[in-house]
Amino acid sequence: MSTTPFIIGMRDAFFDELYKRFAADRNAVFISADNGAPTLDKFSSDLPGQFFTVGIAEQQLIGMACGMACEGRKVYTYAIAPFVTLRCIEQVKLDVCAMNLPIVNVGIGAGYAYDIMGPSHHTVEDISMMRALPNLVIYSPCDSISAAALASITFDDPRPQYVRFDRSGIPDMYTGRKENFADGLVLVQPGKDIALVATGVMVHQAMRVASVLATKGLKARVIDLIRLKPINRQLLLKHLCGVSCVVTMEEHLLAGGMGSAVAELLMDEGLSKRLLRIGQDDRFTFDYGGRDVIWEKYGMDVRGVTRRILKWLDKAK
Amino acid sequence: MSQTVLETTNKHRSARLQSLLRQKAQWVRQTVLKMAVYARSGHVTTAFSQTELLVALYYGGILRLDSKRPKWPARDRFILSKGQGGIGLYPILADLGFFPKSELDNFAGRDSILGVHAEWNTPGIEVITGSLGHGLPIATGIAQVGLLDKKDWLVYCFLGDAELYEGSNWEAAIYAGSQRLSNLVCIVDRNKQGVLGFTDEIRTPRDGPRLNPVDNKFAAFGFDTRVIDGHSYREIFKAFTGLRQRIARGCKPLLIVANTTKGKGASVMENKRFWHYRVPSGADLEAARAEIRRAHPSRKRQAKDTAPHEYE
Repeated sequence: MSTTPFIIGMRDAFFDELYKRFAADRNAVFISADNGAPTLDKFSSDLPGQFFTVGIAEQQLIGMACGMACEGRKVYTYAIAPFVTLRCIEQVKLDVCAMNLPIVNVGIGAGYAYDIMGPSHHTVEDISMMRALPNLVIYSPCDSISAAALASITFDDPRPQYVRFDRSGIPDMYTGRKENFADGLVLVQPGKDIALVATGVMVHQAMRVASVLATKGLKARVIDLIRLKPINRQLLLKHLCGVSCVVTMEEHLLAGGMGSAVAELLMDEGLSKRLLRIGQDDRFTFDYGGRDVIWEKYGMDVRGVTRRILKWLDKAK
Repeated sequence: MSQTVLETTNKHRSARLQSLLRQKAQWVRQTVLKMAVYARSGHVTTAFSQTELLVALYYGGILRLDSKRPKWPARDRFILSKGQGGIGLYPILADLGFFPKSELDNFAGRDSILGVHAEWNTPGIEVITGSLGHGLPIATGIAQVGLLDKKDWLVYCFLGDAELYEGSNWEAAIYAGSQRLSNLVCIVDRNKQGVLGFTDEIRTPRDGPRLNPVDNKFAAFGFDTRVIDGHSYREIFKAFTGLRQRIARGCKPLLIVANTTKGKGASVMENKRFWHYRVPSGADLEAARAEIRRAHPSRKRQAKDTAPHEYE
């Protein structure tokens, strides 16, 4: 068996697929706020009238997208994740969501992907803030294969959407697998004892945690929550069937994030399952040295998560 | 095209037209006052500063519109960026037939299609603009598509001057100037007041910061600029002549600074503090009504003041 292949990044897999749709549909436009990618160059060189840049100006990015969408264009915007969400959140709220326009906001650098760049570039509030906006669909893929699938899924969906991508260097999860990513979630591996629900890069962490748990005789099922809003409630409940302990894992603040969404769902459905939410507490991080340092310090590394789960399970006995 | 709209490009100085526009402006102000009093809400003074401009644009044949087809593809796009001015635009849209005049009776009421701020569910309103600083970025997107598709419609973006404190306008101005959006026409309702104070006469800590010079700022961003008296039909028509030809000529985007008076037409509210979101009552209301009534005495049928449903 070959080793897990590394590619340039999930963003590039997405743009490569998106390029095919753009080339076939000249009604689609792409606006960048001074943010590039190797796979974006051919948009600007080969597709005249379909690629625009506004400079580092996210309010203009979203406002202009709104104007173009009002005139019938399918619009993709692109910037670093914290800036395409929080910097222009009122434009996203009013110009995109309230007017329910076919605009897809693409953010790069979800969670602590920009690890050593500080709170300005950390994107650990976007899920909770974007989740509050009516009409908006939110995606958080974990690898380049699901990211590539999102190109057509977002292109064919006329709703307002937000896609958060990690940076490069994330291994693929779905090599050789046929999954229906349009379902919004994937049962990555089955297991009868405990369920790990993760999103983005934390799906990889969840798989590692699951293999450590396996050495302790615990079989963990892992669910990749790709679409965070609206959650595919029916399918998620189906996959949570038969386990009484659920752990959510996200590289995001615990306040209002994916774990909160799962907790709301469980409560709304009246399901009495134990829930442990792994994520960042109510704090900013000013730590350098890399993502591993942040994970280790705040209990999001494999060892820390595993320990916490075992302690939590022990307490229940 | 609606018959109420006059094709006037060459005869805009005619006394008959001027008289008709004055009548319309008078009726708009009376109607705004009635709507605000009835709903106990609405931005009266901001509606009064923009009245002559909107009356000229909508009745004077400047805007290309079809009230029976609000989304007519060839229409000029009019973005009311100062969304609080909606109360002053709704009477005009109703009068032109975009929606029944009876809707004016129910301004901001239950099941109304007319909100305090302009919202896109109202026929004739393009986008949501309750929050300031949204209109110009949106207008650049619309204008960019118009140029790409080689259309001859214009994008009008109607801004409040105090709205220009919002930085998003300047993000959009960089883009518009740099891309030479020749189909973009910005109008600044320069009434020199915000909510709290005055934009340029810095007399108290409630005033400012200073906005001047508005025209030179936009000129530096790559706009052609014109400065006019926003209550003078002669100056308005002069400034708005020949705009469509600017597209083919590849001109710069155009900015028209229209100097106006907040509360124009009712001296009890004119150019005074604290009237931004305040509906007059009692003696103030009577004084405003009387002054507006006197403004155009030649009008044969005066709008009645008492019954909010009688607009004819």
